[in-house]
Amino acid sequence: MGNKQTVFTREQLEAYQDCTFFTRKEIMRLFYRYQDLAPQLVPLDYTSYPDVKVPYELIGSMPELKDNPFRQRIAQVFSEDGDGHMTLDNFLDMFSVMSEMAPRDLKAYYAFKIYDFNNDDSICAWDLEQTVTRLTRGELSAEEVSLVCEKVLDEADGDHDGRLSLEDFQNMILRAPDFLSTFHIRI
Amino acid sequence: MLRTALPLLGLPLAETEAAGEPTKEPGAPGEPPPGLALFRWQWHEVEAPYLVALWILVASLAKIVFHLSRKVTSLVPESCLLILLGLVLGGIVLAVAKKAEYQLEPGTFFLFLLPPIVLDSGYFMPSRLFFDNLGAILTYAVVGTLWNAFTTGAALWGLQQVGLVAPRVQAGLLDFLLFGSLISAVDPVAVLAVFEEVHVNETLFIIVFGESLLNDAVTVVLYKVCNSFVEMGSANVQATDYLKGIASLFVVSLGGAAVGLVFAFLLALTTRFTKRVRIIEPLLVFLLAYAAYLTAEMASLSAIIAVTMCGLGCKKYVEANISHKSRTAVKYTMKTLASCAETVIFMLLGISAVDSSKWAWDSGLVLGTLIFILFFRALGVVLQTWVLNQFRLVPLDKIDQVVMSYGGLRGAVAFALVILLDRTKVPAKDYFVATTIVVVFFTVIIQGLTIKPLVKWLKVKRSEHHKPTLNQELHEHTFDHILAAVEDVVGHHGYHYWRDRWEQFDKKYLSQLLMRRSAYRIRDQIWDVYYRLNIRDAISFVDQGGHVLSSTGLTLPSMPSRNSVAETSVTNLLRESGSGACLDLQVIDTVRSGRDREDAVMHHLLCGGLYKPRRRYKASCSRHFISEDAQERQDKEVFQQNMKRRLESFKSTKHNICFTKNKPRLRKPGHKKKDGVANTETTNGKPPRDLGFQDTAAVIVTLESEEEEEESDSSETEKEDDEGIIFVARATSEVLQEGKVSGNLEVCPSPRVIPPSPTCAEKQLPWKSGQGDLAVYVSSETTKIVPVDMQTGWNQSISSLESLASPPCTQAPTMTHLPPRPLAAEEPQAPLALPSDPLLSFAFPPSLAKAGRSRSESSADIPQQQELQPLMGQKDHTHLSPRAANPRWCIQFNKGGQL
Repeated sequence: MGNKQTVFTREQLEAYQDCTFFTRKEIMRLFYRYQDLAPQLVPLDYTSYPDVKVPYELIGSMPELKDNPFRQRIAQVFSEDGDGHMTLDNFLDMFSVMSEMAPRDLKAYYAFKIYDFNNDDSICAWDLEQTVTRLTRGELSAEEVSLVCEKVLDEADGDHDGRLSLEDFQNMILRAPDFLSTFHIRI
Repeated sequence: MLRTALPLLGLPLAETEAAGEPTKEPGAPGEPPPGLALFRWQWHEVEAPYLVALWILVASLAKIVFHLSRKVTSLVPESCLLILLGLVLGGIVLAVAKKAEYQLEPGTFFLFLLPPIVLDSGYFMPSRLFFDNLGAILTYAVVGTLWNAFTTGAALWGLQQVGLVAPRVQAGLLDFLLFGSLISAVDPVAVLAVFEEVHVNETLFIIVFGESLLNDAVTVVLYKVCNSFVEMGSANVQATDYLKGIASLFVVSLGGAAVGLVFAFLLALTTRFTKRVRIIEPLLVFLLAYAAYLTAEMASLSAIIAVTMCGLGCKKYVEANISHKSRTAVKYTMKTLASCAETVIFMLLGISAVDSSKWAWDSGLVLGTLIFILFFRALGVVLQTWVLNQFRLVPLDKIDQVVMSYGGLRGAVAFALVILLDRTKVPAKDYFVATTIVVVFFTVIIQGLTIKPLVKWLKVKRSEHHKPTLNQELHEHTFDHILAAVEDVVGHHGYHYWRDRWEQFDKKYLSQLLMRRSAYRIRDQIWDVYYRLNIRDAISFVDQGGHVLSSTGLTLPSMPSRNSVAETSVTNLLRESGSGACLDLQVIDTVRSGRDREDAVMHHLLCGGLYKPRRRYKASCSRHFISEDAQERQDKEVFQQNMKRRLESFKSTKHNICFTKNKPRLRKPGHKKKDGVANTETTNGKPPRDLGFQDTAAVIVTLESEEEEEESDSSETEKEDDEGIIFVARATSEVLQEGKVSGNLEVCPSPRVIPPSPTCAEKQLPWKSGQGDLAVYVSSETTKIVPVDMQTGWNQSISSLESLASPPCTQAPTMTHLPPRPLAAEEPQAPLALPSDPLLSFAFPPSLAKAGRSRSESSADIPQQQELQPLMGQKDHTHLSPRAANPRWCIQFNKGGQL
C-alpha cells in the first residue's frame, strides 16, 4: 500500500474522512474495492479528481448481484443523478450510510429513499407494490400484492393520507427494535 | 388437594406392594387357581407403565395446585416448587418404603425425559435470532464451558492441595477435572424453566439458552474424555489422547449436527407425501426427531445438538407441508411432552436428593464448588463478552453480563452425568454426587428465586411483545436484500452475503424438493404474514365478540388453495377494517362492556322464539363461504353460537367500524327491513317520508368519521327510525333530507357501489321510530368516498359480509357472488319486493319490542351510549323481524349486525 499517498492527496483523504464515517484505512480499502469493479476505468491516481463513473451495467452484472431484486434501486438511490452510475463519492457514501457509525435517522432516510421508487418523497401504494413484487419475485398475483400493500399502508400510515411520508416511515422503522442491528454492514 | 393426596398415598402403597410382592405374589401364581377367578390382581403386569402414568399424573396435579395461587407462581419458579415437592415426596417414599425409590435414572433421563424438551426448544427456536447470535452463542458454549470446566476443576484440586477439602475425598487432578466438566455445563432444562418466566429480552435469552443447548457437545466430550482418562489412569494418558480429545469435540458436535440435519431432511421429505394420510403427520415429526436423538446417542454424538438441529432445520418445510390441524397437534403435543418431562425431571431430582445412601458430604468441597462455579462463570462471561463486544454491533452491556453469569443454572444433566460415574474408578463419587445435588439445588432454587427480582432491580431490558407487522416483515426482507447487495458490491463476503446465498439455494432447490407444490406456491413469506395477521385480527375480533365472523376467520388457514384467495381477501378486507378499528379505539371497549350486558339481557329475551330458524339458516349461509373441509368445524361453531353472542359481535363490529375507519364502511339496511320498518313506522305514526324512501329504494350505507360529530343531532332523528335497518354512520339532518333523494336515485340503480348512508343505527330502532321522523339517508358523498378502484373490492366485501352475517339489504350490491336464491331475495332493488315481506318480518313479539324500547330509552341519557344502544336494540329487532319473514334472511341479518 505504498501508493497510498499517490491515490489521494492528504486534503482529499481528510475531506473523505470528514464526509464519511470511515477511517483512512477503510477509505483506502473501499477505494481499492471500487477500483476492482472496473480496473480499466478507474485510475489509481485520484489526486486530479478524475470524473469517473462505474456504469450500472458493470455493477448490475456482478454474478453475486444477479439474483438481488434491489440492485438497480440501490445503485439509483446512491448515484448522484439517479441513473445508477456510481462515482467513488457515491460509493463511499453508500457504505458510509451502511456503517455502524451512521445515525439511525440517516439510515432511515436512505432506506426510505430506496423504497420511494418514483422519487416523490413519499411511499405510495405504487412504490410498495414495486417492493412487494420484487420481494416475492412475481409469485403473488396482482390482487394479492395490492392487498398486502393496502395492509402495509394501513399499518404505518399515521396521518391516513394513503401514503407514507418520511415521518411515517421513520416512526415505523425506528419502532422496530432491531432496525439498527440489521441495517448495517461491517466493512 | 384430595386428589393429589391420593396418588401420593397410593404410590408408596403400590410401592410397598411391589416391594413386598416377592412374598405375596409368587405364592399366588404358584397355586393352581381354584376355578375361574372372578377377580385377579395383576399388579406386576402393569407395574411399570402404571407407575409412569402415576408419576406424570402426580406431576400434573402438582402443577395444577401450584397454579391455583397466582401469587406463589409469580414469585417462585415452578422448577423450585417441583423440586421441593420432589423432596417431600421422596421423604414420604423413603419413610414408607424404607429405601429410596423412583429416582432420576440417567438412562430414563437421557432416553425419555430429555429429548422432548430439547425437541421442543429446537423446534420453536427463533431461528433467525439464533443464527444472528450464533457467534456469541458458540463462543459461550465452547470456550465458556471449557473455561468453566478447567478452572473449576483446577481450582478444586488446588483447594484440596491446600487442605481445605477433607482428605477422605480421594480424588486427583483428573477426577476434579472430570467433576468440573460435568458441573460446568449450563443446563438447558433449568435455564428454560427459569428464563421462560423471567422474560428477559430475546437476545439475552437466546444467548444463554443457545449456550445451554450447544454446550452439550462440549460437556459430552469433556466428560467422556475425562472419564476415559480417569479410567485409564493418568499415567497411561499420552499426548495423542489429548489430540484425540480435541478432535472428538468436533466429531461429536458436527456429527450431531449432521445427524440432526439428515433427519430434518428426511422428515421434511416425508411430510411432503402425507397428503392423504394427514393423521400421521404429527407422529412423523416426533418419530423422526426421536430417531435423530437415538441415532446420535447411538453413535455417541451429541444427541442434544442433533435434535436441536433437526427441529431447527425441519420446521420451515414441515410447517408448510402439514395441515393446519396437524400443526396444532404438533405444537400442543410437543409442549405437553416437554412440560411433562420437565416437571417429572424436577420432581425426580427432588426425590433423588433424599437418598442419603448415595452421597457423602464434605463442606469444603461443596462450598468450594459453589463459589468456584459462580466466580468462574462470572469471570468467563466478562472475559468472553469483552472479546465478543469488539465484534458485536450491539454490545452486551454490564447488566446483560450480570444476568448471563447469574443465569448459568445447572440442572439434571449434571446430576445424571454424575450418577453415571463408576464408583470403582472414581472413588470420590459420593462426594461428587452430594456436591452436584447441592449445586443443582442452589442454582435452581436460590438463583431461580432471585433472578426475577434481580432482573427487575437491574432493569434488564425485558422482551417486548409487539405485534408482528407486515411492515416489519417487508422491511426485514428488503433490508436483507439491500445489505446483501451492498456487501456484494463491496466484495465483502459477510454474514448477509451468506444468508443471501443460503436463501437463494433454499428457494431454488431445497424448498422445491421438500415442500409440497401447493404449499410452495402459497408459501411466500410476505403473503404468509399477511395471512397470519388477518387470522390474528380475526381471532382478536372474535375475542371481542364477533362470533359469527369467527367461524370464517378460523377456517381461512385451512384453505390451502389459491382459489380461495378471492374469498379470503374479501373477508380479510372486512376483518381488517373491523379489527383495525378495535385496536385503535380502546375507549370503545369500555363503553361496549356496558352495552354488552344490555345486549345479553335483550338476547335472552329474544332467544326463545327465534333461535331455531336462525340456526338452520346460518348453517346454510355459511356453507357458501366456508370451504368443504372446514364444514364440520363451521357447523359446530355456528350451531354452538347462541343469540347472545351474535348480538355482542354485532355490537362490537359496528362500533369498530364506526369509530375506527375513515373509510366508509357501509352498513346497508336491508331493503326488506326498511320496508318493513316503514310499515311499522307508519303504524307507529311515522311520517310518510319514510314510506317514500322505502319505495324508491332504501339502501343505507353507513358513513363513519365525518358524520360522527353530528351524531348527537342525528341520533335523535335516528331514534325514530325503523328497527330492521342497521346504520353504522350518523348523518346530519341536512344530509338526510337532501341526500335522501339523490342517494336513493344514485345508489339503488348501481349495485356495485355501496352507497354509504349517514344514518344512525339508532334510527332504525323500532321503538324509537315513534319518537320522531325517521332518518334514512343515502348520502351521495359517501358513495364518492369509495374510490373507484376500490369499488370492486367493496362489492366483494359487501357480498362476503352478506353471506357471512350482514343483513340482506345491505349486501344487495354484492349479490352476484351469492347463490342464486339468496341473490334474488337480497337484491338491492329489493324495495319493490319489500312490501310483501315487511309484514312478516316486522311482526315482533310486542313484549320484546317494548322491552327493547324501554331499555334503549333509559340508556339514551348518555349521548355516547345512545349511539351504541340504538345499534344494539336495532340488532335485536332486525333479528326478530327477518326471522319471522324469512328464515334465511334472519340469519343474514344477524350476521350483518355483527359486521
